[in-house]
Amino acid sequence: MTKVAESMPPKGGFSFDLCKRNEMLAQKGLKQPGFLKTGTTIVGLVFKDGVILGADTRATEGPIVADKNCEKIHYMAPNIYCCGAGTAADTEAVTDMVSSQLKLHRFHTGRESRVVTALSLLKSHLFSYQGHVSAALVLGGVDVTGPHLHTIYPHGSTDTLPFATMGSGSLAAMAIFESQYREGMTRDEGVKLVAEAICSGIFNDLGSGSNVDVCVITKGKQEYLRNYMSPNPRTYVSAKGYTFSKKTEVLLTKITPLKELVEVIEGGDAMEE
Amino acid sequence: MDSQKTIQLEGRRDDPLRYGIHGVKSDIIEPHPLESAYHSSKARQEEIKRKILTNTYGAAFPMKQQLDRQILSKFKRPPGAIPSSYLGLEATTGTLDDIGFEDYLNDPRDSETFRPIDMHHGMEVRLGLSKGPAHPTFM
Repeated sequence: MTKVAESMPPKGGFSFDLCKRNEMLAQKGLKQPGFLKTGTTIVGLVFKDGVILGADTRATEGPIVADKNCEKIHYMAPNIYCCGAGTAADTEAVTDMVSSQLKLHRFHTGRESRVVTALSLLKSHLFSYQGHVSAALVLGGVDVTGPHLHTIYPHGSTDTLPFATMGSGSLAAMAIFESQYREGMTRDEGVKLVAEAICSGIFNDLGSGSNVDVCVITKGKQEYLRNYMSPNPRTYVSAKGYTFSKKTEVLLTKITPLKELVEVIEGGDAMEE
Repeated sequence: MDSQKTIQLEGRRDDPLRYGIHGVKSDIIEPHPLESAYHSSKARQEEIKRKILTNTYGAAFPMKQQLDRQILSKFKRPPGAIPSSYLGLEATTGTLDDIGFEDYLNDPRDSETFRPIDMHHGMEVRLGLSKGPAHPTFM
């Protein structure tokens, strides 16, 4: 195997080129930027005929709210969705990549994706990066074997539970679930409980805020209820509107097409074999 | 004969600006623990897969597979504008149906230090006529 691996050209992926340089600079007294605190509330529960996922919509950059209405419920497959907590870019990249893998797998097999497939793809990927890809996920979906809900931790360990929470608001949300969850809930009861759990995160956790997103997945059907609740509308909007300084004046609107100035050769040189 | 020369030259780490001044310590210790863990876990998984195949189908099957892979990994395009796709190799290893970070993040061809390879020089290196890495920018 070694011979085959060595003769292959190098591939992309994580680059460790600058690790040594950074280590040397840190030793010489350069203060490296620290990690930014992340915060989120994401939840999921299994109800009578499917799975409900929920998320808040606040994205933070340390102490700053970067986005007041971001999307934390990611598409994985038509019957599987995934909530992401942790570094926003990591959750986005990991769910997008696994979603592509599932699509390729569906083309290959011609069958609906299973939730366990997504689960093992995610956990093996996260485990191979040893927690450096900081994505904490709640994965939910309905496949031929019924509704499934899993939580995946950044190091690749997983749980399979009837109700699950993740992120910094997970404690507040879990308190609501533990007091009110029961088996065999109807859709409306489930959505109400999920919204309540997310609201508990929004109001009791500083890293979570703004609106409630809900996603209901049942056999052969999924409803993405974007901004299902908006408990924090803008409190003050100027009645007179806002005035902005004058725009940059447009001096000239004449367009000179470059095609007339240069000679365009169609096709170009033929590729040599 | 063709790959013997290139194998030794690819993967060399004697660029002092990128990898630091050459020393024994820097040869042994990887710059980041994740790098070695990532590569060794990939190799270990391959090894486990091979052992499972040996136990299930006997020693001949993985050996034959190995031979196929070695043949297919040598099936390349001439060095130049279009990189080798290794379609046959990817089909046998199963990586054809996979998409990972290495496929779309930090592609060596998108690198800012990338220079297109001179086909004649690359071909000479491959045939053992001249020295030096065929892909000067890759390593």
